Amino acid sequence: MIDQLLVEPFRSPYMQRALIEAVLLGVFGGVLGVYVVLRRLAFISEALTHTVFPGIAVAFLLDASLYLGAFAAGALSAVLLTVLTLNRRVNDDAALAVLLTTFFSVGVVVVSRSTSFTADLTALLFGRILAISTGDIIQTAITMLVVLVVLALMHKELILRAFAPESARAMGYRTDVMDLALNLLITLFVVAAVKAVGTVLVIALVITPAATAQLLGRSIRSMMAISVVVGVLSGWIGLVLSYRASVDHDLRLASGATIVLIMTVLFVVAFAARKLLDLRRTRVGAG
Amino acid sequence: MLVLDDVAVRFGGTDALDGIGATVSAGESVALIGPNGAGKSTLLRAILGLVPLARGSIEVLGRPPQEARRSVAYVPQAESLDPEFPVSVAQVVLMGRYRSIGWIRRPGRADRDAAAAALHRVGLSDRADDRFGTLSGGQRQRVLIARAVAQASRLLLLDEPFNGVDAVTQKLLLEVLGELRADGAAVVISTHDLTVAHLACSEACLLNRHQIAYGPVADTLSPPLLQQAYGARALVLAGDEAVVVTPS
Repeated sequence: MIDQLLVEPFRSPYMQRALIEAVLLGVFGGVLGVYVVLRRLAFISEALTHTVFPGIAVAFLLDASLYLGAFAAGALSAVLLTVLTLNRRVNDDAALAVLLTTFFSVGVVVVSRSTSFTADLTALLFGRILAISTGDIIQTAITMLVVLVVLALMHKELILRAFAPESARAMGYRTDVMDLALNLLITLFVVAAVKAVGTVLVIALVITPAATAQLLGRSIRSMMAISVVVGVLSGWIGLVLSYRASVDHDLRLASGATIVLIMTVLFVVAFAARKLLDLRRTRVGAG
Repeated sequence: MLVLDDVAVRFGGTDALDGIGATVSAGESVALIGPNGAGKSTLLRAILGLVPLARGSIEVLGRPPQEARRSVAYVPQAESLDPEFPVSVAQVVLMGRYRSIGWIRRPGRADRDAAAAALHRVGLSDRADDRFGTLSGGQRQRVLIARAVAQASRLLLLDEPFNGVDAVTQKLLLEVLGELRADGAAVVISTHDLTVAHLACSEACLLNRHQIAYGPVADTLSPPLLQQAYGARALVLAGDEAVVVTPS
């Protein structure tokens, strides 16, 4: 049993690399997601993942660094998003939707010029965690370290801004700059994770574990711990599941999507657990 | 400590505030009185330098508002904060120290001691480790006052601090505010509660988009002036002796 879950699936180097990448992204997304969810930026970060797409597409076609392309597009859209959402005259939702679809369309148009259009598009949209190289892992690890250090340094201010925005402004903090910083950190995560899970699914790795943790955690520290555990656990189970399905049943399950679905399952379990706990507390309180 | 000179604020072509003038000294406490939408919150935001002035000037501790923010404590309404947010009572109070701690550095022993002392002052030391959202509305308001106390500011701005709080909290808040004033702090309180204005404040600024009166509470909150601010909603009782403002 243990052999089938832990050892056998990870005999081949490509599965080992996939597991390392999944664990890294689980930790990375788990921690970052807590700040994103507490700051209620889920929708904006979702938009951000789509706006990064044209940058990746251009870099892919030019054979340039995906990092460079994605970061250029991501930085541009992070700035645009921050500016747009600060302007009260622009309807937030509408501005986001326009920006998101425009950037995404640019990406699709660019990719459609490639001869291997469908294969390339699929790779960019959904990722290929089984094709991760050692170089990719190193890039992910370095990006993660940079982002986690920045988050640690800004921790108390980011939490204050998320909890009491008016107070943060009253204390003289530039909340717009802090929002931009967080959006840029999300962009870095998207860039680090895009090869593994693609632009469509990448945001699930940030939002779902943190949203799960929000249901169960009573403090920011416990939220972060739960979020990381959910992220890492989903990565591992997702990989094993898609491997077993392929080996035992000749079923092809996309690894990235399977990981995301495991996260959803854990979220649903946490949701049910929370409901039960609340119900019990009300009953105890009433009795 | 706080000087407002002919202050006007405009939002999208209409006057939100006009002709506000006041001088608040150390140890004084001013009530901002007016109906909903009178511009009380806007005035507080202007003192914090968060809205641009169309005319006039504001001086906080001898400086422009933007430069004085670090020395000003703003107390929001407790109900404006998400009760589900996973922070403890002690953490909320500690937030008052963040500006003096500065970026990157973590709170030290002195900061924790100051926060603990502030929490003790509002009588909630035993709830320090509880989640902020599990407290009652009045207790949450006390925590936010403790945050302002921990900030050790010379000017406090409070937005409707007595809204929906219990009698215990009201008494405690009045005591703490009195102590802060005795220590030389100036206090500005936006409220629609005339009783509270009489109890907590030495001066009052009566406004409804423009300033109707400013001066000692007893003079400013007189029946004729209140009727001017509240219109038909101010009911004058017992001849000319008492005023009741009906809810909008």
